[in-house]
Amino acid sequence: MKYMILTYASQHDYDGMAGQGTDQPAWSPEEFAAMGAFMEAFNTELVEAGELVETRALAAPVHTRRLGAQHGVAFVTDGPYAETQEVLAGYWIVECDSFDRATEIAGRLAACPAPEQVTANAYADVRPIMESAAEITY
Amino acid sequence: MSGTDLESLLRELAPQVLGAVVRRYGNFDIAEDAVQEAMLAAATQWPSEGAPDNPKGWLITVAARRLTDLLRSEQARRRREDTVARWELPTRQPEPAKSPADSDDTLILLFMCCHPALSPSSQLALTLRAVGGLTTAEVARAFLVAEGTMTRRITRAKQQIKHSGIPFRLPASEERAERLATVLHVLYLIFTEGYAATAGPRLHRIELSTEAIRLTRMVHKALPDDGEVAGLLALMLLTDARTAARTTAAGELVPLAEQDRSLWNSDDIAEGVALITSALPRGTVGPYQLQAAIAAIHDEAQSTQQTDWPQIKALYELLLQTSDNPMVALNHAVAVAMADGPAAGLERVQTLAKEKQLTEDHRLYAVRAHLLEMTGDTPGAREAYLAAARRATNLPQQRYLNRQAARLDDADNELSESQHHIWC
Repeated sequence: MKYMILTYASQHDYDGMAGQGTDQPAWSPEEFAAMGAFMEAFNTELVEAGELVETRALAAPVHTRRLGAQHGVAFVTDGPYAETQEVLAGYWIVECDSFDRATEIAGRLAACPAPEQVTANAYADVRPIMESAAEITY
Repeated sequence: MSGTDLESLLRELAPQVLGAVVRRYGNFDIAEDAVQEAMLAAATQWPSEGAPDNPKGWLITVAARRLTDLLRSEQARRRREDTVARWELPTRQPEPAKSPADSDDTLILLFMCCHPALSPSSQLALTLRAVGGLTTAEVARAFLVAEGTMTRRITRAKQQIKHSGIPFRLPASEERAERLATVLHVLYLIFTEGYAATAGPRLHRIELSTEAIRLTRMVHKALPDDGEVAGLLALMLLTDARTAARTTAAGELVPLAEQDRSLWNSDDIAEGVALITSALPRGTVGPYQLQAAIAAIHDEAQSTQQTDWPQIKALYELLLQTSDNPMVALNHAVAVAMADGPAAGLERVQTLAKEKQLTEDHRLYAVRAHLLEMTGDTPGAREAYLAAARRATNLPQQRYLNRQAARLDDADNELSESQHHIWC
């Protein structure tokens, strides 16, 4: 079974990680390095367990294009998010035995070192991935 | 690293960095500013702190970070003004993506900057800044305009690119040849702008011709099998090789026939000749290759007398088939005069004079003056030199033409002093 683990951040969170203080303090070099080390170990462990399909981080929300239509007219919008809006920041696709195992994996992300203002309200989502077209058609 | 090394490294990396950033994040207009700022940061930090191990990676990182900042303030401003930046997707399907090389990015940038939607002056300015890595102030100085004027020109050009929705990719193969022709034309204009300024006191603006050669080299590196790219590079090298002999120390213009050929740059000539020699047999011979072949004949001759004029005449005849450029026709007339005698040349000039485009061009009068002098018609020649000088817009050219007229004046006076009383 495949699951997607999703994490979220706002443009301001990205700024903090990039060393810019906006409405929250910037990450120190030590804080940033600690997160990197944690993620590396976390991913290595998943690879070794044969559970990692793919993991990626996404570029800052500011680099987003939204495509849509309004009154039947197609459009593209650059930078559709407000600065404080939390949007998808990264994901893991894991292949494991159960939803509960995927949840356990995601739960370990809580141990990721980060400045307190970040960990205080951090969260992640886990969602089952449809395995085939048969699951979405009748 | 010396200042010159640093500058040439940065200028070489500029289009690669801009290409990488635009390919990744889009927003050509803002990315271009971000890359300029990254280049300036490098120019100030690297000399004191040392260049990083991976200069290109450093520049891309700094430029991408700056792009993010610039984009955010742009987006925040838009939200304050409650406007949305909405645009339409180009309808054409993209070509299948393949992993791009740095040279492709440089080419794509050239295709963007030389887009037919832009005016020629915008194409030149934007190419020098975005591909050549010159600052706006440097571009302004090269074109002898105020920096504010150049800033407006570049900003307008970038907005035009943005609004036209030109995607960051090579043009579709069916239009690529046509677009490449525009790119080569822009590079040629940059070169000639450097070689003979159309206005102003100095004949050479060496920086621009050097820059044009550098950029054409980049294109040649990206498209080594294209005969016209090789031809243009050869033409530039073979023309630029004569720079040192083309003016006196005082800045006076020296015509080809009177140039000290030992001052010609033999390395440039050798490279240009090698380029055109290998390009010519490869396929369709275009106008740049023909012009380079003509320049090569001049550069390899010991003197005007020993120049293979019949061959030059034949090449101009081929060139006339591809172009209705009046200057080509005028040069052909000179070759006819040199190969078949001044009377035949004057006959050609007479025909050209009837073409409206040329009647106000100083070069027509200069050629006529020269050919009249060859036939021995001194008063006619002097009159034509003066007519040419009145029409020339470039001071060194005017001075040269007036000098020729004065020379004939002196020769004439010696002759006429004894006859003076007869006419007065």
